[in-house]
Amino acid sequence: MIINVAKTICADQWRYWLRTKVAATVLMLGAILTLAALVVNAFHIEEAAHAREHLQTEAEERFKAQPDKHPHRMVHYGHYVFRAPTPLSVIEPGVDTYTGNAIFLEGHRQNSAMFAQQRQSAGLTRFSSLTPSFLALVLAPLFIILIGYGSVSREREAGTLTLLLSQGTTRWPLMLGKLLALVTASSLFLLPLLLACLYVAFSSESTLIVLLFCLSYAVYFLLWATVVTACSALFEKSSVSFTVLIVIWMAVCVLFPRLGSSVATNAAPSIGKLEADFKVEEKLRSLGDGHDVNDPAFKKLKEDLLAKYNVDSVDELPVNFRGVVAQYSEGRQAKVLNEFAENRMNEELEQAEIARQFGWLSPTVAVRAISTILAGTSLETHHRFLKEAEALRLAFVQGLNKVHVEKLDYKLDMNRNASEEAADKAVVAADNWALLSEFNFKPEAANTRISNALIYFLQLFVWVCITALLLKAAVRRLNP
Amino acid sequence: MMRFTDIKREAGFVFGHRQIKLTLLVVFLLSAASLWSGHVEMQEQQATIERLLEKDQIEREAVITHQSNYGMVAYYAFHLTYAPPSPLAFAAVGERDVFPWKHRIRMLALEGQIYESDTDNPELAFLGRFDFAFVTSVLLPLFIILLLYDLKAKEREARRFELLNVTARNAHAIWSARALVTLVPLALVTLIPFVFFGLVNGASLPSILTVCAIVIGNIALWSGIVLSIGAAKRFTNFSATHLASIMLGVWIVTTVVVPVTAHTLINAVVETPEGGDIVLTQREAVNSAWDKPVEDTWRAFIATHPQWADYTTFNPERDSSFNWKWYYAFQQVGDQAASELSQGYQAATLQKDTIASYVALLSPSLLSQRLLSNAANTDVKAMVGYENDVRAFHQALRKFYYYHLFKAPEFSQESFEALPQFTPSIKTSQEKKNEN
Repeated sequence: MIINVAKTICADQWRYWLRTKVAATVLMLGAILTLAALVVNAFHIEEAAHAREHLQTEAEERFKAQPDKHPHRMVHYGHYVFRAPTPLSVIEPGVDTYTGNAIFLEGHRQNSAMFAQQRQSAGLTRFSSLTPSFLALVLAPLFIILIGYGSVSREREAGTLTLLLSQGTTRWPLMLGKLLALVTASSLFLLPLLLACLYVAFSSESTLIVLLFCLSYAVYFLLWATVVTACSALFEKSSVSFTVLIVIWMAVCVLFPRLGSSVATNAAPSIGKLEADFKVEEKLRSLGDGHDVNDPAFKKLKEDLLAKYNVDSVDELPVNFRGVVAQYSEGRQAKVLNEFAENRMNEELEQAEIARQFGWLSPTVAVRAISTILAGTSLETHHRFLKEAEALRLAFVQGLNKVHVEKLDYKLDMNRNASEEAADKAVVAADNWALLSEFNFKPEAANTRISNALIYFLQLFVWVCITALLLKAAVRRLNP
Repeated sequence: MMRFTDIKREAGFVFGHRQIKLTLLVVFLLSAASLWSGHVEMQEQQATIERLLEKDQIEREAVITHQSNYGMVAYYAFHLTYAPPSPLAFAAVGERDVFPWKHRIRMLALEGQIYESDTDNPELAFLGRFDFAFVTSVLLPLFIILLLYDLKAKEREARRFELLNVTARNAHAIWSARALVTLVPLALVTLIPFVFFGLVNGASLPSILTVCAIVIGNIALWSGIVLSIGAAKRFTNFSATHLASIMLGVWIVTTVVVPVTAHTLINAVVETPEGGDIVLTQREAVNSAWDKPVEDTWRAFIATHPQWADYTTFNPERDSSFNWKWYYAFQQVGDQAASELSQGYQAATLQKDTIASYVALLSPSLLSQRLLSNAANTDVKAMVGYENDVRAFHQALRKFYYYHLFKAPEFSQESFEALPQFTPSIKTSQEKKNEN
């Protein structure tokens, strides 16, 4: 009985939408935009994935194809790593366009990621970019409002509500029917997204992640449909429910996310990388210059080494002392660099978390956090990229230093600047460059991402409860 | 003609509505909050620059006093370059959160350094800035729609429309007066906080007036759109909310659809060299120089710097096989190798910006956003201008060091008094005050 009534109400609402120009236009526009965004973004991500994979292979090949050289030249030759886009970034590109996706790895330095795509946007995407997630999180709610603000109040204004209620239609089936109509209408925007998500992701992404991802978007749409239907019932006039809903949309979708970002910047200001670099350098200076074996900072290292091998001078050591110094100072430097990098990442994360607290004020913020974290396009994943790049940097630099220690004669090494012939002798064979390991970046494991997103699921859950209460109140107060 | 009595009556009518008073209060708060947040941030950026300048000076002096040859100083000495926020940057952060506005550079190949960005937290950048430009260009139109969409329709629905038209001396005057008493307070609550912060930040009077003009223009344009949709003959039978949906549709199309579509098209049309290619080319050129005959480097170097052709030989006893002249020459050659790509990259950025300026004619929001960041010197042109300042400064550094490396005068600490100094081309309010 309830279901039949709801179905009839829903079908009736659909007939109305198809008849009116505005609703039909909105539905069309929404569906076209969603599809366009999906296609454009899919092409873009595909292209980026290929380009970065290609650059990564090329960088590795070039490294390994270098001729015989002094190993320290290779430390400075360095290496590039590129971050490939994750499967779900087709829907949620997240911070990717703002971070840059290439890092140059070299000895003694931690570089930042370069070439953020946003630089190429010519300011056109200040408010938005044509990403499926933006459409779903920001525009779709507006569309839902536009078609749904009058779904109940229209009946009241036309006097049909009295008719419906007096003829025995109870309130719940009536409201559920209206809600169902709005949910099916909004699925015009949501469905392409979900299908794309399933298609793109099931191949290379964890099923659980994809399901949760889809679920959070579905719940988000349901929330809006419910709020719109409830407001339409709560307010007597269509114009009032329209105004109220637009104000809610402005606050929730446009204002709070940005307010969060501004509050975070001002509440937890972080010093930039440049300023941190000064502190790093200050600390590094106390560790001595790894290029200079006579730096007093290595006096103890030298004494220990002489004692260990029981010899009187570094010339007699079975290992290359220059290499030992390079290895030793690189290790100590890396520790300092990582300590600062870790600090900076924590600061950034702290800011991000302040901004994400606005999820208690806006479900859009909550779902955006869930969406980026699950898609592997969040700040957390970017940090992971930085950490993995650093691990690779240290591995190959120290590998080269090891080659320096073991395979290059100290006397030849110290004599290398005497003449060109001497320089030609102070080299190691090119086959040593094979020590470079391949860089293959993957986002965090599925459970890590899910547990990172847990708190934001909680925010979303709170919103579900609030909206359910709102719907209940609207049903109770539904009077002709 | 609109009469004072009309205005007075309508003002009383408009301010009798709680909804309108509330809207004005909200706009005032939003405007003030965005300005305050921009103000705090620009203060912080200014303070950061000052701290950096101080440390930069100390560091460089330490390097100079600890080294005893020009090559080493050139290698270890960094130089701070920066684009200070202009006095209006608090109102329109513009591209400052996307393009880098500070760098520390040294004598090595520039292409490997200039794309390093010390940008802020990417997640916050992704969530977007809440600055005055955003409030006025994106949110204000929505408020205008909310305030004006039922200007006439409300009266029609209340069946007062005809009555009002008949009783008024001039039918148009009522609506113009009613729109005016709504819009003028709206402009005031938006602009009063701006003028206050503008004065606090030491912005010049003409620049403050420019921003006011842009904001008023934006309000006028949107009111025009809203009112003409409301007055259109073919929409006379539409309900007020129906009309509002159409107005919102215009907002979506101009504010969202036009820019994002243009963005996608522009990216497809304008060919941009891959950033990665620039740095890879540069690195390859620099690093392969170690393994190439020295003459290769000299040939490429002298092609652009013929004045040093007679100074390329070096004294093996003094210089050994490693030689700073040659080292910096191949850094230069590395930049030369990447220069075509790098110029293409910058040209593409500017070309995209130019196309975007035409697109902005189709989107009032984009237009006012662009005009505001242009007034605040935070647009793409200003940021590319900063990049070129850095390039020019690096060029000056090279000139200084090439002289000292090639002519090889005796090393002296005093010679560094002639070291080029970076001066930003955008003046801050502080500097402007000092000039006056």
